[in-house]
Amino acid sequence: MMEALLSTPLLGLVLCISTYLLGRWLQKKTGWILANPVIVASALCIVILILLDIPYENFALGGDIIHMLLGPVTAVLALGIYNQRAALKAYFVPVLVGCVAGSATSIFSILGLCRLFRLDEAITMALIPKSCTTAIALSVAESHGGLTAVTAFAVLIAGVTGCLCAPLFSKWFHITDPVAQGLATGACSHALGTSKAREMGELQGAMSSIAIGVCGLISVGITLFL
Amino acid sequence: MSVMTQICVLFAICLAGEAVSAVLPFPMPASVLSMVILLILLGLRLLKPKQLQAESDFLLNNMALFFVPANVGILRYKDAVLSNFWPIFLISLLTTPLVFFVTGHVVQLTMKLLRRKEAKRS
Repeated sequence: MMEALLSTPLLGLVLCISTYLLGRWLQKKTGWILANPVIVASALCIVILILLDIPYENFALGGDIIHMLLGPVTAVLALGIYNQRAALKAYFVPVLVGCVAGSATSIFSILGLCRLFRLDEAITMALIPKSCTTAIALSVAESHGGLTAVTAFAVLIAGVTGCLCAPLFSKWFHITDPVAQGLATGACSHALGTSKAREMGELQGAMSSIAIGVCGLISVGITLFL
Repeated sequence: MSVMTQICVLFAICLAGEAVSAVLPFPMPASVLSMVILLILLGLRLLKPKQLQAESDFLLNNMALFFVPANVGILRYKDAVLSNFWPIFLISLLTTPLVFFVTGHVVQLTMKLLRRKEAKRS
């Protein structure tokens, strides 16, 4: 029987979806930021695979189906940019200048630190897109031969840090302009940060969600030259 | 559009993204190209956001699910990740406030310059 269960993609599908639903329920119940569905589902899947001694390859039969949908998920991010086109038009220059500065800072500071710590290419290329939203970061890492698992982890750390600290960062670094606050939050901590930016104000939220898409595109552009 | 049509349109856009990515001489991710194609279609008003609503709401509301397999993939590279855990963690943590600092100040400066220019004009 075990053989039959291991050879069907349904195993990976059911594992991913059920742990994800559990994570979503947990987040609703506790409201705690670390009870994030991505963290809960990934951790549970890993623990279950290890405890039941299921080889990764068997999980991947189903996991790859869900992973394939990351393409369409990235594509629909276009709607996020399109829906904010009024705000984008009103602040076009600051958005463009800020996102170029943010993306370049992120990529080159990571590149420098990776060289300092003597990390290999697969990990360096995985870390470089870590300020982008997960969907874009994973595709960038994949197309440059980075370990996507490391990318997912790094993106999560950036997101949680930004989400917890965006108001504190604004205070410490004396960022008082709402447009600057929103763009800075979106540039360093993508979608997770945007949820916080929305709490800080409507303009901050709009700017942060614009930064997700624009920084993603600019980062893709910069990594082409690395 | 029916949900099935929406799925078909979106998958077709992604397929076009794959085609463009294969033709381009540099490694541009197909998914990002699909995003650009969709953005162009929306901009040209060939597609309206409403026409893709059911499909895009489903994907965006459950976005977290699609990241899970990539995370579980860490099992394949356990050793490489564990032996470099602290550098990976520190780099991810430290560069986040740095990006916030630079972006925030650059935007604030740009806004100030724009306002000054506007004040001069009026």
